[in-house]
Amino acid sequence: MADMQDGSALVEIHDLHKSYGPNIQVLKGLNIEMMPGERVVVIGPSGGGKSTLLRVVMGLEQIQGGEIRFGGKPYISTKGGKTVIDTEVRKQIGMVFQHYTLFPHLSIMENLILAPRKVNGESRASARERGQKILERFGLGAKADAYPSQLSGGQKQRVAIARALMLDPRLMLFDEVTSALDPELVAEVEAVILQLAEQGMPMMMVTHDMWFARNVASRVIFCAGGVVVEDGPPEQVLGDPKEERTREFINRVFHIKA
Amino acid sequence: MDYTLDLGAVTRNMGPLMDGLWVTLQLTLAANVIGVIAGFALALLTTSKLALLRWPSMLFVEFFRCTPAIVQIVWFFYCVPMIFNVFWGPVFMGIVALGLNLTAFNAEAYRASIQAVPREHLDAGIALGLSPTQRILNIVLPQALRNSVPVLLTNGIGIFQQSALVAIVGVADLMYQGKTLATATYRPIETFTVVALIYLAISYPVGQFVNWLERRQSHS
Repeated sequence: MADMQDGSALVEIHDLHKSYGPNIQVLKGLNIEMMPGERVVVIGPSGGGKSTLLRVVMGLEQIQGGEIRFGGKPYISTKGGKTVIDTEVRKQIGMVFQHYTLFPHLSIMENLILAPRKVNGESRASARERGQKILERFGLGAKADAYPSQLSGGQKQRVAIARALMLDPRLMLFDEVTSALDPELVAEVEAVILQLAEQGMPMMMVTHDMWFARNVASRVIFCAGGVVVEDGPPEQVLGDPKEERTREFINRVFHIKA
Repeated sequence: MDYTLDLGAVTRNMGPLMDGLWVTLQLTLAANVIGVIAGFALALLTTSKLALLRWPSMLFVEFFRCTPAIVQIVWFFYCVPMIFNVFWGPVFMGIVALGLNLTAFNAEAYRASIQAVPREHLDAGIALGLSPTQRILNIVLPQALRNSVPVLLTNGIGIFQQSALVAIVGVADLMYQGKTLATATYRPIETFTVVALIYLAISYPVGQFVNWLERRQSHS
């Protein structure tokens, strides 16, 4: 799963600019270099561009400037004002969203095998076999024939993670995947992500759960005003931030009076 | 009021009413076949990125939505033959008029269902590497068609009721037969009550079925 072969970066984001309409600039020249095997947690105030960053990396958004390279290859750039996305490169990235995105008309197993069959041309039997293995690994072996409406929020998010893993991604993106869950369901989803982290899956995630960020991250990036304000190991950024803006944010999150 | 009810006047003459019902059912069924198929095609046109396809199809929808059905039917019966110098049988004309009306309303039902598919599902489709065509075929259409069924059924049974309007241009449907029978027997109360009950007996179960279907869909 992890490709730790050489010292070259897995994701290189250079001078990324993204705005919604003419007036709302969300990313203003953002730079991040992510090595294989890293688990990057992006934190920061609302509207600071965290989720937008993940959506751009997933190739879901048009950008106004800058470029992204993935695995050493050009991935996203602009040409004549238009965004150019290499869709073959995009297939190496998986993403799980805040709101449940399981397709309600398909059973859990059908959700899992849709993309492997349609995109990779895998046989139904082979895809089902892999799907069953992943479901069992996530404690959902008995749910293969259930429909999304019959699952709890936590189960749905675990299935969404399993669905993304069916395509053997080289990078996983998690965009506030526990924010919409009832508190008692958060742990089971986080446990699955931790399990992936232990297996060396490179990941980039946005979360409001600082405890989880500290547990899962190998690196924390504080993003505000559309740029990277602080970037370092979790103990440092969350425990002893250098930048004033980071400190203010961390204090507010942990309810410490500044 | 000095009026003695005599249901026998109607029950002795159920033959013509049943003939009329048969014509009404034919009109309804044929108009629904047109409406379900052409409505879908029209919905795709109204959501097209090409203005040349989008504008005429939206105009078509708005014309039928914003004019009374009775005006559409009368216009169809009197104006189309004069403008295009054609006249098909009255039942056929009725089917086309009702079918086009239903097409416009069903197009709106399909369009709303397509737009109700959550954006996040399309994002998830992109993240799973599905091509635009694969996303339409595997994510959007199955959900949209399923969601549109209750509205299609409601529109379809609406046309069953609206079809009574063709009586005024001489199509021998249930309403027309009722009018004829009421005049012939001087029994308007009995006749029109029975006619109304026949419409009700067919519409009501369909309406209940739609309610049940909506309840079932909202649970999932």
